[in-house]
Amino acid sequence: MNELNADDPSLLVIALDTNPSQSILKRKPNLLTNILNSISAFGNSHLMQKPQNKLAVIGCHHHTSKFLYPSTDKSLEVRQIDGQYEYFTLVEKSIKTNLADMITNAPKVASNNESMLAGCLAMALCYITRIKKSQPPGCNLNTRILVITGSEDSAHQYMTYMNVFFTAQKEKVVIDICALDNTLVLLQQGCDITGGQYLKVPQIEGLLEYLLWIFLPDPAIRSKLALPPPVKVDYRAACFCHRELIDIGFVCSVCLSIFCKFSPICTTCSTVFKVPVPLKPKKKKIKT
Amino acid sequence: MADDDEIREYRWETGYEKTWEEIREDNNGLISGSIHDIIQKAKRKRQEAKKGSSRLGMMRHIYIMLDCSEAMSIPDLKPTRFLNTLKMLQLFIEEFFDQNPISQVGIILLKNKKAEKITELAGNYKNHVKMIQSITKLNLVGEPSLQNGLETALQTLRMIPAHASREVLMILGSLTTCDPGDITETIQSLKQENIRCSVISLSAETRIMRYLTTQTHGIYSAILDESHYKDQLFQHIEPLQATNTQECSLIKMGFPHGLVQDSNKKDVSMMSMCMCHLDSSEPRKLSTTGYFCPQCQAKYCELPVECVVCGLTLVLAPHLARSYHHLFPIANFIEVPYEKQSTHCFGCQRPFQDIDKSLYQCPKCRIFYCIDCDIFIHDTLHTCIGCSTTPGGQKHQIHSDSNNYQKSFNNSVHL
Amino acid sequence: MTTKKTSPIKNVVHLECKNLHEYLKSQTAQVITKLYEYPAICLAVYRDCIPDIAKQFVIRMLFVEQAVPQAVVSSWGSQIYAKENLEACKSLTELKIWAEASIPGGLSAWNLNPSFKRNLKIAWLGGGSSWSMFNSIESDAKSRDINFLDQYAMSRWNCLLHYMVDSNASKGSEIEGISVDAVRIILHANLMKRNEQDGSSILTSQGFQFLLMDTQSQVWHFMLQYLNTCEQRGLSLIECLSMLFQLSFSTLGRDYSSEGLSENMLTFLQHLREFGLVYQRKRKEKRFFPTRLALNFTTKNAVVSENIVNESNAFNKTTTAGIVGDDNKYEKGYIIVETNYRVYAYTDSKLQISLLALFTELLYRFPNVTVGVITRDSIRQALRGGITARQIISYLEQHAHPKMIEAATNSTLKTSSMLPPTVVDQIKLWENERNRFSFIDGVVYNQFLSEADFITLRDYASSIEVLLWQNERTRTMVVTKNGHDDVKKFWKRYSKGGG
Repeated sequence: MNELNADDPSLLVIALDTNPSQSILKRKPNLLTNILNSISAFGNSHLMQKPQNKLAVIGCHHHTSKFLYPSTDKSLEVRQIDGQYEYFTLVEKSIKTNLADMITNAPKVASNNESMLAGCLAMALCYITRIKKSQPPGCNLNTRILVITGSEDSAHQYMTYMNVFFTAQKEKVVIDICALDNTLVLLQQGCDITGGQYLKVPQIEGLLEYLLWIFLPDPAIRSKLALPPPVKVDYRAACFCHRELIDIGFVCSVCLSIFCKFSPICTTCSTVFKVPVPLKPKKKKIKT
Repeated sequence: MADDDEIREYRWETGYEKTWEEIREDNNGLISGSIHDIIQKAKRKRQEAKKGSSRLGMMRHIYIMLDCSEAMSIPDLKPTRFLNTLKMLQLFIEEFFDQNPISQVGIILLKNKKAEKITELAGNYKNHVKMIQSITKLNLVGEPSLQNGLETALQTLRMIPAHASREVLMILGSLTTCDPGDITETIQSLKQENIRCSVISLSAETRIMRYLTTQTHGIYSAILDESHYKDQLFQHIEPLQATNTQECSLIKMGFPHGLVQDSNKKDVSMMSMCMCHLDSSEPRKLSTTGYFCPQCQAKYCELPVECVVCGLTLVLAPHLARSYHHLFPIANFIEVPYEKQSTHCFGCQRPFQDIDKSLYQCPKCRIFYCIDCDIFIHDTLHTCIGCSTTPGGQKHQIHSDSNNYQKSFNNSVHL
Repeated sequence: MTTKKTSPIKNVVHLECKNLHEYLKSQTAQVITKLYEYPAICLAVYRDCIPDIAKQFVIRMLFVEQAVPQAVVSSWGSQIYAKENLEACKSLTELKIWAEASIPGGLSAWNLNPSFKRNLKIAWLGGGSSWSMFNSIESDAKSRDINFLDQYAMSRWNCLLHYMVDSNASKGSEIEGISVDAVRIILHANLMKRNEQDGSSILTSQGFQFLLMDTQSQVWHFMLQYLNTCEQRGLSLIECLSMLFQLSFSTLGRDYSSEGLSENMLTFLQHLREFGLVYQRKRKEKRFFPTRLALNFTTKNAVVSENIVNESNAFNKTTTAGIVGDDNKYEKGYIIVETNYRVYAYTDSKLQISLLALFTELLYRFPNVTVGVITRDSIRQALRGGITARQIISYLEQHAHPKMIEAATNSTLKTSSMLPPTVVDQIKLWENERNRFSFIDGVVYNQFLSEADFITLRDYASSIEVLLWQNERTRTMVVTKNGHDDVKKFWKRYSKGGG
């Protein structure tokens, strides 16, 4: 099942960064409402594509991450109020109610807490695994995660991000990134590893348009549409001593930390290194 | 079997595993709960077997020796031992490179008293898989020669620098071996060179194999059936403890960037041919993309690879990152009986029901998980969700003695 | 020289089952425009009738006020898949979702159908008025749970199928009969034929094929036939269609109000109640419950919104609140086919057993299992009745036991079907055995007086490529029907000229 089949239903998990410490939200606090409306509309448009498509939305706040849709604690009974399809109304209502709950019950923001997006992605992967397992035999499900965030790159979460990206690659989950404010180099690597799309939104007012044009098509049909080309990612490593990108470096065999120059002791794992000695030419054994 | 000194009944006596006795009816006369329990226990067994880590050997050079004698055509594994083994090996190699991206694998066939090396030690798995697929039609005759195979492996492994681990994995179906000289001498030289030999026997345990693996500190297993075979084979994927004799050194590595632009000129896309496909039958086309060795500017299509021109190992930063979870594993979760401590699993949001007899709790962040998430987290994800979603929980994930490491990570992300 | 005409054997008529796309294509532009006034229909058409690329085009154009130049639309698709682009555009034009227009500057452009645009936006984003049957309603004291609704729907639908399989047995047994209306529709759809002698109905070959289809296709086909006759009953096609589509978007397990529906619609509702698409406790009751048959109306295994009443059911084992996964499949598979041609059906439903009896030889019947064997005779008997091998195979696949599906997905041999390939191939071979002959109409020419005449005529016939067969020794040749006239004229000229 290596090729993506366009006829299979698709599960989309939207990981939304709602952390109030994001600079974009600090500048314009009302922007969150607009973003939320765009996301609800986008989520519903995903459900419109195929009858068996599934949706999940996770909100990543400064103190924890929680599922906004589907609701875990209580279920909402929603009846049609206007011409909108009942199911879509349920989705919108759930997202808004659960987010309001999460915000009101959140502890006070201490200092600039960064969003724990990597953990939120890990949670999405657990959910995806569970849904995939519960499919009846013979049914395939295409899965993807869309991350919408205005935060900056977080170096603290490098390891978690890497674990998440490799797991996603293994489980064939595509990760798309929609950056609202800053360029996200680390998350770009994730797009590259899993085969997803990266987009930095030029104008936040047109968020829904960008989402519909770039992120709505499933990975299976993306090759049939003209979409922005993949971003070239620079995979060089930075040395631990000078924080510079290096072409050739020395790697400790025990803890895999990278140095630009030879030093007798590894600073991270405190191993003493043997000074390299040129190999003595060994006598060749003649075999009979 | 040899290390069980207690008195055990043989199977041809009455000592069967009475699996049907394990299934008991509960109060309502249903057996589904007890079946659920059995499945849970089987899943957990593997988790508990894992221990925390100390120093591990990350760079592994392993030779896989495959027995191609007559004994491999016995159909006790479907369709024949040989074809089944090839299928397993393909999965093994893919998984191996996934978990150990900077390691190298080579394959040696023991054909008719001779040893033939069909792939050299290399870090790219596609070549190996292709080779394995091409030998499915091999004619299986004669007997294997243990000594010849080991000598062939010895010749190459001898030259490997000391910081990398040297291993041989043998898959034998035959009970005999036909050797030209004294095998104990070969075993002694293997021991001197610190080459670790492990054997998986498809038939029965033999004394010489046991001697070999004990002398070289390897693992010897004789398989019971196909799923046991897969289990035993895949246990070699995990990196091993670093032996004391293994030297720690700084390995020189190159980090090519995949960008096309030349540092001197802008937007120059030069066409060139790659070095990895020079010997292949279908010549590669000229292309602009590829990875250039920083030392000698030779081009390669895929990494990791050892540059044939200057001998420098070329890797990308994510390749190293794949191995980090071995060095910083997350703690095993504690099993607690279900007493409605939580309504649903924090990872997958599945509500807990009475059929879940126990929950699994992370010792650091005290979040509860279901058994499926527990297995998923420990096998694949290597990240506790509770720790990674609470600010400050990040620190719990990594060993306290590598705070330095974390600081260095801050710098390693190129911004 | 004499000529004889040979006649062909009648070919088997195949059941034509239109899908929604084809059905709409066959309607007039007027009907389609009226249909697009309903948000439910626009949503259904968007979701189920157009290819994926077309969906992207439509949603991009939804917010644009003016017409979009055709060149721009073509640039949205990648060059490599130009053919698919064209197909997408074609399907949108056929369904009248967009139309050609010209913009100032002389370029040709696409303009979305304004009522489609408006109503699709309403269904997606909100606004407008609520759909007719979705008026507010007080909660029901005795609401029915989903299992009850499923059982009700299947029992009603099975009545229909039972009637088709064995119209005589339904009288006087525990199975209820079906109404005269339903019988009329079945006859109109050519699924059964009235036997002139005793007035009873017998199954036609299309009827056989209908029985072997899956439930969703059966319901769809049946409702299409119903809609073809609904004008005669005085029901408006548009209203019926809109009601059906609204039902397909409802939530399972929830009750809806029938207040405010017109008389005609109430009659239609009663018919739906009889077929099992909705459940109503009493005829005059103001509330009704849609069943799974109605929800799966347009597509197979559609996501069925489920009303979660108990909180403990929320997020139950495998599903998420608000939607029921496909794992609550309506009918669990029950057939296991072995490589020795044995068929084991874990069911006790008379209908399913009689369907199996159509093409297998039943050996044993137990309370929960029936064992049959596929033999040449049993398959040939089915083939004679008009069923094709493909239908038999797809019936077995549809109702395959979950164990068989699991075994197929886990096995290393990547087979195309979960049934044993030997059995599948053999069924197809048995079908091909019946096709050893191909029949072509022709005319026989024999009893030529002289060799020369025969040779001349034969060469002429082969030169105009109408010669089918010839035997020089017996001086006989066969010519196609179409070529007969030409050859006859030539012969007349020749015999006149030659003397």
